Amino acid sequence: MVAIDRAPAKPRRRYRNLWRQTPQSFRIGLIILLLHLILAVTGPFWAPYGFSQMGTGIPLSGMTWKHPFGVDQLGRDVFSRVVHGAHIVILLSLSGTALGLVVGAILGLLSGYIGGWFDNALQRLLEALISIPFLVLALIAIASAGPQLSGNPILVVAVVALVYAPRIARMARAAAIDIATRDYVTMARLRGESAWSVMRRELLPNATSVLLVEFALRAGYAPVLIGSLGFLGFGLRPPTPEWGLMISENRALIIITPITVLGPGLALASLVVGLNLFTEGLARILGRTVRLGNQ
Amino acid sequence: MSILKLVATRILLSLLTLLLVSLIIFFVLEILPGDVASRILGRDATPETLNTLREKLGLYDPAVLRYWHWLSHFVTGNFGQSLVSSRAVTEILAPRVFNTVLLSLYAFLLYLPLTVLPAVIQAIRRDRPADHALSVVTLVLLSMPDFLLATILLFLFVVVFRWFPAISLVDPTSTALDYLWAMTLPALTLAIVMAVYAVRMLRDNLIEVLDSDYIRMAELKGLSARRVLFRHALPNALVPTLNVTALNLAYLVGGVVVVEKVFSYPGFGSLLVDSLQLRDLPVIEATVMIAALVYVGANLLADIASVLLNPRLRTA
Repeated sequence: MVAIDRAPAKPRRRYRNLWRQTPQSFRIGLIILLLHLILAVTGPFWAPYGFSQMGTGIPLSGMTWKHPFGVDQLGRDVFSRVVHGAHIVILLSLSGTALGLVVGAILGLLSGYIGGWFDNALQRLLEALISIPFLVLALIAIASAGPQLSGNPILVVAVVALVYAPRIARMARAAAIDIATRDYVTMARLRGESAWSVMRRELLPNATSVLLVEFALRAGYAPVLIGSLGFLGFGLRPPTPEWGLMISENRALIIITPITVLGPGLALASLVVGLNLFTEGLARILGRTVRLGNQ
Repeated sequence: MSILKLVATRILLSLLTLLLVSLIIFFVLEILPGDVASRILGRDATPETLNTLREKLGLYDPAVLRYWHWLSHFVTGNFGQSLVSSRAVTEILAPRVFNTVLLSLYAFLLYLPLTVLPAVIQAIRRDRPADHALSVVTLVLLSMPDFLLATILLFLFVVVFRWFPAISLVDPTSTALDYLWAMTLPALTLAIVMAVYAVRMLRDNLIEVLDSDYIRMAELKGLSARRVLFRHALPNALVPTLNVTALNLAYLVGGVVVVEKVFSYPGFGSLLVDSLQLRDLPVIEATVMIAALVYVGANLLADIASVLLNPRLRTA
C-alpha cells in the first residue's frame, strides 16, 4: 500500500464544519433573521403596492393570489403593508435596543467598577425604574412627551431605550463587579488609569459576551414593545405600516377576513421567534445561559 | 436574628424604591405639557375662573410642596379627585382594582395546571417527539406578543367555535357564572403568557431532579413511577420556579394593560390607558403607584421566600 497525502480540505468545507458546530437553534434563528433582513432591505422595491395606496382591490375581499394577506377596510393591500413595514419594525427595534445598550452598559459598568455611594444611588434609581412595569413606564414616558412628539419614531426609539437601559445596566453592573476583581483591572488602576478608561479598555472588552447576549435578548422583545405601543394607540401613527398598529387597525375585521390580522401577526411572531432562537444559540456558543422572557 | 435583619433591610430598600418611584412619577407627569386648570375648564375658561381654580388646586405652590401634599395624602389613602369626572379617585379605582384582582386570581388558577402539565409531559418524554413539539409550541407562544395571542384566542373561541362572548362586559343582572364565563378568555390569555415562561424552567428543573440519586433510590425502593414523579420529583423541581411565579405576578401588573384593552375588560389596566388618553393626572398617578407597589411587593416576597427556602442564603 502506498500512503497518499490527502489534499488539504477546501476552505469552503472548513466554514461548513464551523456552521455545523453551531447549535441548531442558532442556525434556524439566523436563517429566519436573514429572511427578515432581506425583506426589510429589498421589500420596498418589490412590494406590489404602496403602503398607503388605496383602491388596490375590493375592501375585505379576503385571501387571493393577488392579495395574499387580504385587503383592509381602506382598500390597501395588507401584504404590501407588511412588506413595507419590515424595515420600520427592525430599524426602530435595533436602534432603540442599541441606544439602551450604550446607556445601560456605560452606567452599569461604571457603577459596578466605582462602587460606593455612586453605585448605591444609581442602583436605587434603576431599581425604581425597573419597578414600574415596562409597558406602563413606556406609556407614561410617551404621554409626558406631549402631543407634538407623539407618533414620532425618535420618541419610540427613546422609549425603548428608556425601558431597556436600567435592565441592561443591572446585567452590566454584575459583570463589572466580577471583572473588577481580576488582576489586569488592578494593574490598570495602579497604572493610574481613570475609571472611564478602565471601563473602556478593560471592562468593556471582557463583558462583551454578556452584553452581546443581553442585546440579542432585548432586541428580541423590542418589536413586541413597539407593537404593543402601536396597538394601544401610543406608538407610531397611522398610516405607518407598523405591524402592531396594523393588527390593531384590522382587529375589528377579524370576523370577516382573519388573514388581515394573522398576516401581520405572522410577520411579527416569526421575527421574534427568529430573534429568540438566535439569542438562545448565541448564548450557548458564548457559554452563557439565558432565560428567554420579557421580564 | 440575621434573617430578621436581612428581611428588615429588604423591606426598607423596597420602601425606598417606592418613594423614588413616586418622585419619578410625580415629576415626570408634572412636565406634561398644558396647564391642568385650563384642561379642566376647557372652553369655559376665563382668566378669573382659571385663576381661582389654579389657587384651589394649589398650582401656584412650588412643585416640591405639591409633591409633599400629594404624597402625604396618598399614604393616608386619599388619592385626590379625578380631573375629568370630579369623582374621588378611590371611588373610580376600587371597582377596577377589584375586577383586576378577580381576573388575576382566575389567571393564576389556570396558570398552575398550564405550567405543570406540559412540563411533566416534557420531562417524562424527554428528547422524544412530544418533548420537541411542546418546546416548539412554548417557544412560539413565548415569542408571540400578548395582544396577538389575545386576538387569536378571541378569533378562535368567539368567531370559530362561538363559545364565548366577544366583549367581557357584564351588567348588574348577570350572575356569577356569567362573570366567570366572560372572564375566561382574558384570564386564559394571561395564564398562557405566564405559563410559557415557567414551563421551560420547570422542564429543565424536573429533568435535573429526575437524574438525581434520591430519585433513583426511590425508584429502586419499588415506588410507582407516578408516586416518584409527583411526591418526590415535582415538589423539589417546583421550588426554583417560585421565583418565576413572583416575576409572573409582576408581569401581570403590566400584562393586564394590553389584555384588558383587547377584551374591553373594565379593570385596572384599561383604566390606566383611558386615563392616560384623557390626561387625568390623579388617576394615572394612583394607578402607576399601585402597579409599582404590587411589583415591589412581589419581588420582596420572592426574595424573602428564596432566603427562607435556601439555608445557604440565610447567613449571607
